Amino acid sequence: MTTPAAPIRPDGEVKLHGAALYGTDLDVPGMLWGALVPSPVAHGTIRSVDLSSARALPGVVAVGPDDLDRLLPPGPRDEERPLFPRGEVVYHQQPVAAVAAPTAAEAVRAAARVRVLIDPLPVVSDLESIFPDWPGPEAATSPHVAAHVHARHGDVDAEFRRADRLVREVYRTASVHQVALEPHACLAEVTDGRWFVRSSTQTPFGIREDLAALLGIPESSVVVEGTWVGGGFGGKGAPLLEPYALLLARASARPVRIALGYRDEFRLARTTLPTVVRMETAVTGGRIRARRVRLLLDVGTSLPGRDFATGYSIGFLLGPYATATFDIEGYAVRTNKPPFGPHRAPLAPQCAFVVESHLDHVAREVGEDPEEFRARHLWTEGDTTPLGQTVGPFGLGAAFARARRTAERWRREAPPGHGVGVGVGFWSTSTGAGGEVRLRLTPSGVVVEQGEREIGSGSVLAGLPAVAARSLGPPRERVRVEYLDTSTAPFDSGVYGSRTVGALGRAIDEAAVDLRARLGERLGGAGPVTFRAVGDRLLARTGGRELSVAELLTPEERAAGGLVVGGRHFGRPGAVDERRVVDGTFYAYRDFTGTAHVAEVSVDRETGSVRVERYAAFHDVGVVVDPASARAQVEGGVAMGLGTALTEEAIWSDDGELENAGLKDYRIPTLGEVPPVEVEFLEGYLGAGPYGAKGLGEPPMIPVPAAVALAVREACGAHATELPLSAERVARALKLL
Amino acid sequence: MVPFELVVPRTVEEAMAALRTTGSGSASVLAGGTDLLNDLDDQRLSPTRVVSLRRLPWRTLDWTGPQLTVGSTLPLRALEQDPEVARRFPGLVQAVRAVGSVALRHQATLGGNVVRSAPASDLVPVLLSLDAEVDLVGPKGDRRVPVDRFVRSSRRVDLAPGELVRSVRLPEARPSSYLWQRVRPANDISQVAVALAFSPAGRTWRVAVGGVSPRPVLLAEPARLLGSGAPDPAAVREAARRAGEEAPFKTDRRASEEYRRRVVRALLARAVASVVDAPEFPR
Repeated sequence: MTTPAAPIRPDGEVKLHGAALYGTDLDVPGMLWGALVPSPVAHGTIRSVDLSSARALPGVVAVGPDDLDRLLPPGPRDEERPLFPRGEVVYHQQPVAAVAAPTAAEAVRAAARVRVLIDPLPVVSDLESIFPDWPGPEAATSPHVAAHVHARHGDVDAEFRRADRLVREVYRTASVHQVALEPHACLAEVTDGRWFVRSSTQTPFGIREDLAALLGIPESSVVVEGTWVGGGFGGKGAPLLEPYALLLARASARPVRIALGYRDEFRLARTTLPTVVRMETAVTGGRIRARRVRLLLDVGTSLPGRDFATGYSIGFLLGPYATATFDIEGYAVRTNKPPFGPHRAPLAPQCAFVVESHLDHVAREVGEDPEEFRARHLWTEGDTTPLGQTVGPFGLGAAFARARRTAERWRREAPPGHGVGVGVGFWSTSTGAGGEVRLRLTPSGVVVEQGEREIGSGSVLAGLPAVAARSLGPPRERVRVEYLDTSTAPFDSGVYGSRTVGALGRAIDEAAVDLRARLGERLGGAGPVTFRAVGDRLLARTGGRELSVAELLTPEERAAGGLVVGGRHFGRPGAVDERRVVDGTFYAYRDFTGTAHVAEVSVDRETGSVRVERYAAFHDVGVVVDPASARAQVEGGVAMGLGTALTEEAIWSDDGELENAGLKDYRIPTLGEVPPVEVEFLEGYLGAGPYGAKGLGEPPMIPVPAAVALAVREACGAHATELPLSAERVARALKLL
Repeated sequence: MVPFELVVPRTVEEAMAALRTTGSGSASVLAGGTDLLNDLDDQRLSPTRVVSLRRLPWRTLDWTGPQLTVGSTLPLRALEQDPEVARRFPGLVQAVRAVGSVALRHQATLGGNVVRSAPASDLVPVLLSLDAEVDLVGPKGDRRVPVDRFVRSSRRVDLAPGELVRSVRLPEARPSSYLWQRVRPANDISQVAVALAFSPAGRTWRVAVGGVSPRPVLLAEPARLLGSGAPDPAAVREAARRAGEEAPFKTDRRASEEYRRRVVRALLARAVASVVDAPEFPR
């Protein structure tokens, strides 16, 4: 059975006609416009927040910390994450109050009328100012440490003493923003104890859970309905504006909309923050004998213990290379920045850049061919990772081999001054998070009923119908996706982590098996059920017997709109070998997927400017579910990765103020900087998704900075150890400065 | 953005009247608006009245012998697409093409760029290298001021209350070149820029740099070192070295001072090569 052909973009028509309503399009009669009142400083003690002048304006509703008990039900609220700070503000523009007014301009004026008196406190903006060297024993009690993770195996010191060669390096990576074209936006209404919010979100159910905790209301009273999402990239997976919109809606008894302006989107949305990584590698006889890895990760004002990033991301610094003896330790460091948030493949591209650049450098230092050296150490199926996980079917080695063949050809063809680099990366598809769907068989087709919204990747609108068509058998154009809100949809944990097609696809597959069995019984024939469409009717056939679906449905089913069958998927949990863990929580990767990219660059040796001339991407995907959107994911991931590699960098001042909020000075690539991408999928290394599919949302981003950095080194000899590889950084690496 | 009254006069007199009768309020002049709207949006400017120049008859391109007069509200896109301008002022067209995107250049104007006088302007350096002048109209009569005197500082120009830039005058066709360095090649602001022109009449060079603080400037000594014709490699190296030393670069979030000093040397040497190699360069 093959995947039926599909339109290249099933969401194309509705979007091109402007009919897709995004969060920023939300508009209902009687609506008020909300605005947040920002802290003018990044750190300080609140003396007072005076709302009276704002409230004196006609039609204005203002809420601050003193209003919460009045507006919200009695009972526990998440005290660790108060909606408005009472004692201290901890990041610039942190909301200290919120206002709503009949127009956007009046809301802005009202917010400006709120008098906020704050006594400034010292601002900690720079990660390295807190721990200029590696944190010592004082870190255990430091208020700046949000999390600590440490794992080891074997005697690293002994291996380091015995080694032929020991290579030590320090790498730094910059903060990158998701840059979804649509900023955060939502519209809230509170009526009859129902807290309803429409939001541009990747995780309707996750937001429901968080809103219940933040506001202290039962989850059953919260209803979240997704809108079209103008890009998420990890940035729309947690509530941001929703609690304030709900609070203002409760206070005003009117619908309240809040949408961030684009500069505030940069200032307030949760992004990936800076890191410093120390890498030490011991080599003896051409083999890596031991590695010591140290990560300092800026997590802004993430709550202690609430940050997933350190234990999650640090594992990317160990792979995908065999290392018997290792010692890896990471600190999540709190600074006066907004809380850390995930950005497509959180920190994996940065980690791959560090690992690839470092091992390339190690190989050069010991006189080995860098690609051969890396290939020799790659994880393969059956290997045990440093954290004790078994590597399952894994196409990384095959992808690397294909990439190297392309690289060899490009090297032969490349003009002088060009360089070619091959970078690899790995990912773990988190189908483990739970998901459910319903399939509704109607006389004319199949409806996939579920609670996620299409965020632009195609995973919901192209991926899910592709699975439904393939698993159940109706023509693809007879499969429709229905979006439901959280009060009617079956539960799902969100569109993130490259999990959607994997988890919901498995749920659809399970429902399809059930549905086919039932139809088979009703048809009474032997063999598989097949479908064909005639006019607007859907016909089902088995063993020579064919009936219309309308005839196969019971009267009750016809009255209820069809035959409904549920499917669910909960992935296998992974495990970490706890004997190797000294402190903290490491994330258990599973369902490994590998990718290798090739970049050809030219470098201006007088200015350090890098231009990417050619690009190729090789991906282990298990099975391609929807060819057009799979390819688009890779092209988009490469474009996004080129931004992280070359130009994207959020810059904070010493005062904790974001200096380049907005697209003028935060530079994402334009089409002029993204060459055509050659894409090749390596199928057959089966994963946990339907038919063995693996996730593809995040992997295309992961090897990009590494491939570009290695290409730059080959082109001009510049060994740059910081991201992004701006022309100035390359110029420094070239010793021009 | 704070609400304002938009006035769209049809004549110069109406425009000047609109600028005069603001009472206690303030007025901003709108040409293409590509820069002004940022300031309105961020409330760096909150005028009570905005006077748009779009209906004034200033979208013009006039040749008087070798002299070119560019109406101040002519969209940059029209300027860059004129083959005669490209032939006689190659540096100007290179600079215009460096401004934003095609879509933006359909909107942006030469007059607006000069009046807004951003330190990273791509057009002011090339106007300096071409010894351009601005023609002003105002309540007290018309004036003609060299761009080098008109642009005073970052965002500050020699414009009296009620005065408007009617046109920009380029006195002489010159082999010229404009080169820049940016974080991102497309649609970005230049970290460093070099405008270079050779005056066939005076047989002198003009070297101007952008991305400097507080405004683009002419560099006299590097220009002198380039001599009175095609310079030899040693002269180019020396001029480039001097430009790196002399230009008033500073460190900001777009680039460090030392990077700018390093890059301006490379750009100036390349600009000389491109001007000297052009067929129009007088032998």
